[in-house]
Amino acid sequence: MKEITLTINDQQVKGREGDTVLEICQANGIDVPTLCHLEGLSDVGACRMCVVEIEGERRPVPSCTYPTRDGLVVKTHTEELEKYRRQILELIFTERNHFCMFCEQSGDCELQKLAYRYQMDNVRYPYTFPSLPVDPLSDYLVIDHNRCILCGRCIRACSEIAANYTLDFSRRGWRTLVSADLEQPVGESSCTSCGACVQACPTGAIFSKLSLYKGSTSDCQQITTVCSACGVGCELNVLVKDNNIVRIEAPRLTELRGPLCSMGRFELLLETRPRVTSPLVRGKQGKLEECTWDKAAEVIAGRVSGLKDGFAGIMSARLPNETLSLFYKFIREVIGSDSIDTLGGRSYRIIAEGVSQLQNGGKGLDIECPIEEILDADCILIAGADPKKTHPIIGTLVQRAVSQKGAKLIVVDSSQDVFPLWTDLWLKPVAGSEGVLLNGLAKIIIDKGLVAREKVTAEPVQSLSQYKTGEVNRATGIERESLELAAEMYGQAKRGVIIYGEGLVQRNDPSIVTSLLNLADLTGNQAGGRLRVISLKPAANSRGGWELGLAAGEIKRDGLKGLYLLLGDEQEDEELLDWLKGIDFLVVHASYHSPATAIADVVLPSPIWAEREGKYMSMDGRLLELKRVLQPKDGLLQDQEILIELSKKLGHELRPS
Amino acid sequence: MVAKVKVATAWLDCCAGCHMSFLDLDEALIGLADAIEITASPITDIKEFSPVDVGIIEGAIGNTHDEEVAKELRANCKILMVWGDCACFGGICTMRNLFSKEEVFRRYYLETESTKDGKVPSSEDLPQLLEQVKPVNQVVKVDCYVPGCPPSSKAIHYALTELLEGRIPVLPSEMMRFD
Repeated sequence: MKEITLTINDQQVKGREGDTVLEICQANGIDVPTLCHLEGLSDVGACRMCVVEIEGERRPVPSCTYPTRDGLVVKTHTEELEKYRRQILELIFTERNHFCMFCEQSGDCELQKLAYRYQMDNVRYPYTFPSLPVDPLSDYLVIDHNRCILCGRCIRACSEIAANYTLDFSRRGWRTLVSADLEQPVGESSCTSCGACVQACPTGAIFSKLSLYKGSTSDCQQITTVCSACGVGCELNVLVKDNNIVRIEAPRLTELRGPLCSMGRFELLLETRPRVTSPLVRGKQGKLEECTWDKAAEVIAGRVSGLKDGFAGIMSARLPNETLSLFYKFIREVIGSDSIDTLGGRSYRIIAEGVSQLQNGGKGLDIECPIEEILDADCILIAGADPKKTHPIIGTLVQRAVSQKGAKLIVVDSSQDVFPLWTDLWLKPVAGSEGVLLNGLAKIIIDKGLVAREKVTAEPVQSLSQYKTGEVNRATGIERESLELAAEMYGQAKRGVIIYGEGLVQRNDPSIVTSLLNLADLTGNQAGGRLRVISLKPAANSRGGWELGLAAGEIKRDGLKGLYLLLGDEQEDEELLDWLKGIDFLVVHASYHSPATAIADVVLPSPIWAEREGKYMSMDGRLLELKRVLQPKDGLLQDQEILIELSKKLGHELRPS
Repeated sequence: MVAKVKVATAWLDCCAGCHMSFLDLDEALIGLADAIEITASPITDIKEFSPVDVGIIEGAIGNTHDEEVAKELRANCKILMVWGDCACFGGICTMRNLFSKEEVFRRYYLETESTKDGKVPSSEDLPQLLEQVKPVNQVVKVDCYVPGCPPSSKAIHYALTELLEGRIPVLPSEMMRFD
């Protein structure tokens, strides 16, 4: 873009043509007050706080929406402008019912800060005292229209960041309200509780119930860590006061990897399960009884020595790399068993096997692309995954690509259309026929000549050419027209992205994964040597555990005498629980009491996510740092310390690698 | 010795928190006592105003009595200063403006959970509630404002000191508080 020179407050400054006057002021350290502007969102000029004088303009103009051109002469802080700004503030205060003394946001409110800055110690206009509702009916959010200044930041956050389009203005003029889905209560609307609006709101009009009156930003220490709710690996800014979490925010709300979902922002704070606070062993009456660390270690040592392969270890993939690898070492070197797995390890074995069957499968999971590619996609194919439920930020990126960038969306799912509002085409194969469907699509793509030039002679093209499309119709139950349409949409895409998840993996058939990767490979949907394919991995550090080789083999259930379940703060599922019930000697090392701890012979306390530190690997392979945000209660040991102590009892010295 | 500055204060529709904040000046009060003389005030319990240099009002204007006191103090002072969000902006007292007077009476005198056979009091001797609670500057001219709920002792001290030095105080931004 062309570089231009303009004069702001009698000083020559440089900028790029088309940048707004506000952007250039901010880039040059000129502090123009704003309210409706939030960096990263589009600007609308709603509040008029940023008005400036521009030579040639008849009246002050909002700098946030005024595009610059060469030679512009701007004044930002004349007496007149400052008078207008103070006047605007007074008018905003008279428009609704702004009572700071009991407002949750007092101290963090941008409107209040500006009123202080402009020394607004009285208001010269009559107040309107409108009678306005408060909507407290959502699980996490409250909308208090009394404190709303109609800046629209929440609405822009909801559409531009979350791409959920729940919030909008309803009514007109001074009766205007921010409303969810045509004035539905937020809790009954299409809101996904991602909380982008909460963070975007400059006043106390939208706030979180979970943080209510717990403290303002200035009371808090802020720690940036990584979310442990799913594998996307979002950064969290955790605000802590007196060793309690006040709230969780997105450190860079408006950036591509910035937004959070309800799991990261709210659900991490919703924990109600009772903590395991001390070691427990099953006593003579068959009840779990509190005991010392030493006693618990003795009991374990007494029961596991000599079991070797009769003893297995399973670990949660929510634990950081350091804990996972030490546990692996503990089971292998101290216990002497090869029976080790992570929860969700089966998914790894399917995916890894599927990848290895691909012609250039030697890259392992590195064959997949980073999640940024979703936003860049012109076609997205989602197979056997429900990202909005399991990896909501992936769902957000998909909706952004579709709604803001016009990407086409194909859903392959035997039971539901996971993006009912956005899907262009829903292919509903008979359950289990997904592999046939994917091969069928590849075949049609070959027939239509949509194979990438360099792939025309590739082996899969030869074998897939034998495929009979009629059989595909029969096996999948999908009519030919839909198959052809899907093949065209994906085959013609330049940057088609495939996202798949547990729905596909749980078919227990690695060849489905291979078929899917083939589809991307044949159509040349690559980015920087990686296929535009993303698998949604089950837990926060699944990829970390998998890359460390901790999920390589299945646990041999026959002849298993004992098991150590390092569960951390994860919740066990029914299937695992059923299996645990049949085990002679069960150690459960967990943060919370659960059905698994209830049947354990020894229970060891474990820290929760906020009390740990270590490395995570996101599902797309970025190494991230989990930081400790809360100090564990006295006497609570880190998992590694416990493993080292246990090893001593078993006559080994265990060292972290 | 220089004559002391005469000050009268009044509290209207409010909680008395601003006067408490004034008393929270603690040892600084001793210094002030050399410079000012408090005449009529809830602190001295003198209710009749005589002419003073500085009138101070805490609280909003909620009824005819408040209106009368504000006007009378205004008439008796050279400079009128107001303390607190209620006097500056209407504050928490104006929450009743979201309802009609009838609704407020009904809720307060008839419907509260502990009320049995309630009755809305009415007597010519009682001040009448205004339709709307107002900040002081909508009834009389105000010369300076110390917002806060309540204002900090520091802010009150600052404002008084400025006045004593002959300036009309405007709280600096860092001293401004609405809560």
